[in-house]
Amino acid sequence: MSLVHPAPSPTAERPPLIVAEGVNKHFGAAHVLRDVTTRFYEGEVAVIIGASGSGKSTFLRTLNRLEKHDSGRIVVDGIELDDSVRNLDAIRREVGMVFQQFNLFPHLTALENVALAPRRVRGAPRGEAIRAALELLTRVGLADHVRKHPFQLSGGQQQRVAIARALAMNPKVLLFDEPTSALDPEMINEVLDVMKDLARSGMTMIVVTHEMRFAREVGDRILFFDHGELLQDAPVDEFFERQRNDRIRAFLGQITH
Amino acid sequence: MNVALGVWPARWTRQQRSTATIAASAALLVLFMWGVAKPLSWLPDPIGPVAEEFASGTRVTVWLTLASGLSGIAIGVLSAVAKLAPFPPIRWAADLYVWAVRGTPLLVQVLFVYFALPAIVPGLQLSDFSSAVVALAVNVGAYNAEAIRAGIVAVPKGQTEAARALGLSPVQTFRDVVFPQAFKIALPPLVNNVVALLKDSSLAYVIGVVELSNVGNRLQAATFEPVPTLATTATIYLVLTTVLTRISGAIEQRLDVEQRR
Ligand SMILES: Nc1ncnc2c1ncn2[C@@H]1O[C@H](COP(=O)(O)OP(=O)(O)O)[C@@H](O)[C@H]1O
Ligand SMILES: [Mg+2]
Repeated sequence: MSLVHPAPSPTAERPPLIVAEGVNKHFGAAHVLRDVTTRFYEGEVAVIIGASGSGKSTFLRTLNRLEKHDSGRIVVDGIELDDSVRNLDAIRREVGMVFQQFNLFPHLTALENVALAPRRVRGAPRGEAIRAALELLTRVGLADHVRKHPFQLSGGQQQRVAIARALAMNPKVLLFDEPTSALDPEMINEVLDVMKDLARSGMTMIVVTHEMRFAREVGDRILFFDHGELLQDAPVDEFFERQRNDRIRAFLGQITH
Repeated sequence: MNVALGVWPARWTRQQRSTATIAASAALLVLFMWGVAKPLSWLPDPIGPVAEEFASGTRVTVWLTLASGLSGIAIGVLSAVAKLAPFPPIRWAADLYVWAVRGTPLLVQVLFVYFALPAIVPGLQLSDFSSAVVALAVNVGAYNAEAIRAGIVAVPKGQTEAARALGLSPVQTFRDVVFPQAFKIALPPLVNNVVALLKDSSLAYVIGVVELSNVGNRLQAATFEPVPTLATTATIYLVLTTVLTRISGAIEQRLDVEQRR
């Protein structure tokens, strides 16, 4: 091993975890994603912002193929996203997702919500899956609530269960689609704190959010979407401190009051 | 059915209480099926001497209902899934089935299975009881299909997306996530269908099944005493439908983890 390390440059050395190249998506006549090209690297926290309807969710959802893209290429962990089902299952094991509306399974307890996928998808024995689920729920601060059903939990608690559920599959990357937008203000921080911990632990995260403080604090890179176009893809400090685009400045002015 | 749950100790959880109600009602049903001859035998003529026949008719009615009810739920689930299949011919087949069954009288269906089916399918031999079970199952299955289909489409899309995003296969997603929620939604109409089925099972008498209404009708004709014979028949049906409703009410409560009802 050489004693002289080259400056860590996320873009040059490591192979990207996710590659999107010229991705297009239409809903009927609406052109919702326009030639989106970007790369995501391991350990990176990328934050996606943009006005409502600009295609943020749709882009995120193409990355685990909840939406199919019409043209372009998406490669996740070396596997191309196409119509091959085998690829799809492999991808979804590597890519976890957290939704705005939590989407917990209401008929299962918090523990069962977290243990379900490891048991079914990886065939983990029940005892092992339960033990791992307990550990994850403890990690998100819910050790005392594991036997409760989602309706017995607050929104913030539900979203933390959802994060634990996504983590249970040991994904290589976690996608967050406005994870705090459906929460009462007093619950936003408990979820953001869990996400910050995750980011610090080195988890690769792609986060759609309007929480600019979170973006500045833990984000490495900001992707700004505008009418389906990736208008800007810049490091956090450059994006916030040296923003030259008037449209983005106007957007930031609105969102931070 | 809250009344039924009230008799259990308050410290029991709702789930325990509904489980207890299910068990107790099932026990009651079994007791009734074999024990009803006793109190009936104490009644004066014309009921007392034929108490055993009423009891055996009651058992046949319950077996008819259970066998066709359970198969009818299985048929309903399969048809509901077929109705929502991505492959159009499967959807058409399911729609055709539901359309044909709902558009024809049950009486004709019972006669069809017993008389016409063996003529169409050479070598097929069904007893009168089996024919009745098949006809009733196929009939209630078509109505169940609608109820279950409505339950499936009522489960929010986010549930499927969350399951698929976790890597569950379509089959696992259906079995572990969508179906349990859909079934809970479909339960009240399913219960209605099964109670209707219990009463409809009386049509089995046209092909000679000696079920409860057949027993009542025969005795009525033989004794020329329509009032006591038919009143006894009706009372037994009432007991059966009441117990059945109670069991399904308790099942509904068991599945209702959110305690909305
Ligand atoms: N399933 C869909 N069918 C039709 N149009 C859709 C669908 N999902 C999203 N859209 C449209 O695509 C555009 C982008 O939506 P979305 O990606 O949800 O934006 P964002 O998350 O940035 O608010 C919007 O105009 C929206 O109305
Ligand atoms: Mg969105």
